[in-house]
Amino acid sequence: MTGGVYAARRDNRPEQEMIEVTVRLNAGLRRHRPALGIGEALPLRVPEGTDLRELLNRILQIPPNEVAFPMVNGVKCDLDKPLVGGDRVAFWPPVAGG
Amino acid sequence: MYNGYTGTILRVDLGTGAITREALELQMAEDFIGGRGLASRLLCAELDPAVDPLGPENPLIFATGPLTGTGAPATSRYVVVCKAPLTGTIACSNSGGFFGPELKFAGYDVLIIQGESSEPVYLWINDKTVEIRPAESLWGKFPVDTEAALRKLTRPTAKVACIGPGGENLSLLAGVVNDGYRLAARSGVGALMGKKKLKAIAVHGTGSISLHDPQQFWKATMDMHEKITADPVSFGSFRAYGTASLVSLINEMGAYPTRNFQSDTFAGAAATSGEALAEDVLQRNRACFACPIACTRVSEVKDGPYQGRGEGPEYESIWALGALCGVSELAAVAKANFICGDYGIDTISTGATIACAMELFEKGALPEEDIGFPLKFGDAAAMVRAVAMTGQRKGFGEILADGSYRLATRYGHPEFFMGAKKLEMSAYSPRVFQGMALQYATSNRGACHVRGNTVAAELYGIPRYLAPEVLEQKEEMVRRPFQNSTAFVDSTGICLFTKFAITHREICALLAPATGLDFTFDRSIEQGDRIWNIERMFNLRAGFTSADDTLPQRVAEPSPDGPRAGSRALLHEHLQTYYQLRGWDESGRPTRAKLDELGLDDWWGVCSEA
Repeated sequence: MTGGVYAARRDNRPEQEMIEVTVRLNAGLRRHRPALGIGEALPLRVPEGTDLRELLNRILQIPPNEVAFPMVNGVKCDLDKPLVGGDRVAFWPPVAGG
Repeated sequence: MYNGYTGTILRVDLGTGAITREALELQMAEDFIGGRGLASRLLCAELDPAVDPLGPENPLIFATGPLTGTGAPATSRYVVVCKAPLTGTIACSNSGGFFGPELKFAGYDVLIIQGESSEPVYLWINDKTVEIRPAESLWGKFPVDTEAALRKLTRPTAKVACIGPGGENLSLLAGVVNDGYRLAARSGVGALMGKKKLKAIAVHGTGSISLHDPQQFWKATMDMHEKITADPVSFGSFRAYGTASLVSLINEMGAYPTRNFQSDTFAGAAATSGEALAEDVLQRNRACFACPIACTRVSEVKDGPYQGRGEGPEYESIWALGALCGVSELAAVAKANFICGDYGIDTISTGATIACAMELFEKGALPEEDIGFPLKFGDAAAMVRAVAMTGQRKGFGEILADGSYRLATRYGHPEFFMGAKKLEMSAYSPRVFQGMALQYATSNRGACHVRGNTVAAELYGIPRYLAPEVLEQKEEMVRRPFQNSTAFVDSTGICLFTKFAITHREICALLAPATGLDFTFDRSIEQGDRIWNIERMFNLRAGFTSADDTLPQRVAEPSPDGPRAGSRALLHEHLQTYYQLRGWDESGRPTRAKLDELGLDDWWGVCSEA
């Protein structure tokens, strides 16, 4: 999604409510917020309806293609999933195990 | 003329001292490939599956694959096959390192150890010279010390596979250890080696492996190398975090079994995560033979009560010794993992057995005086102490060393055993991953993840994404792209961890020019199916029935908490469909038509005439 679309949406909804979510960055993605402890949640206030791609692009400034496992409340989601208040978001780069 | 293969099976009888060599049958190699498949086929010819697994008739078969030692990426693997002391099923435990390639350089595809010695011995394979030598001075030593001592007794560059004290004391949790720290871990194969009084096998090989079409082989090798080094998992997270990067992810999903599977989320996951391991314990990486991935963790706890060094812990070990026992101190988990390595015992079954003991203790079924101290969930020091006792088979360790099935049964609560066919489950909750539920229940060596790790599809999307809770198509998925596929890969000599970057097609692109035999993608699926079926037939003859294709009642009940609260294993809804897809009757026996399709004989009269 482009910045223009994001800006337009904000302009069209001047009274948009802000919601609170938490975000955790794992494995190699931790380098984007090195001050955060392992497993530490970053509390954020974002406009209601923000989707995961916007969250990554606009707010966290993490390229979405670095994320292989976007999870909301423990469920793997598509990046166009809009957030609701209280969502627990977590991101992983490509990882695997055995 | 053999290519890829050395063409020789070495047979050593520890009872009579006879050492003989046999030619590998090429037709058998084409049908069963090598490694797991070939060794399972040879076992079927050697053994009545109904015998006592610790009896002298049970051979211990070490087998390499046609790719082992060829220099293509991650071609380090060998397997140990026998009737399993822990489970009574067919066993196939798999390891990397350098031992397998060295066995081939010495000129052998397969080593069959039969009979048993009355005194401790080791086997010294120095190319064509093979000797059975006394091992009194090695008995009781840890694997790293055994290896160092053997290199003085033989050659400084000898490669060694051995047992630790756990195998010597016939712990049913014991594996075979090679290259100091790597275990062919599961099913109790080390107990059989201990029963044979075979402390170690030292190998020195100076030969090379001839290839049918070296030019084509190297082209395929470079192609595979490029794919692996371009892959963000194989060449990214596996190098940075090893397998342990999964701890936080699986826990986030609410699929990380905790406190003997009483819950599926663990509050101590971050403290015991791959990220914490990389910061606190990891010293450097190490690679197996010809492996660009180098996922092995060389690790050390430098101070405090849990000082120690070794390799790992891997994802499964962190889970079994950590979450499953409710322990969130990473140093204690690492220490317990090092102790398992020293004694040569399986970290998964060891952790699971202690977790089972913790539940028995907390619920009043196991008195403190039997253990000698309180053994509660979350007590790191007690967990580490129990692991050491298990390895030593001292005190209550005498009971723990035989695994959780026997422990739970002994104390009157078989329902606290969390596994199938006497083998403990792994670190993916079957309440959440429906594919894993079916895999655990039907796996030929008991509840294990590496016989068909459907988490690849249910989370990573390999070969395609099928959400964990979905039931549709899971039976076919478990059967073909996981169980059959893994049976194929385990038989070639290449590491399963390449499969995040490559498919059967790339493996066949190596096998064909290596051997000159007709290895194709379509045949690979048939070969995997054939191997799965002979393992199944072995188990049927050993007395297993469809009633053993089951899971603990606990996982058929709703998960109590976490993001997947309420989910449960729905095995009964797809077991019959799975049997049908396999070409088995409703009691799980292969039909005559299925055996004909696979070109298999009904060696023991176990097939269904229906």
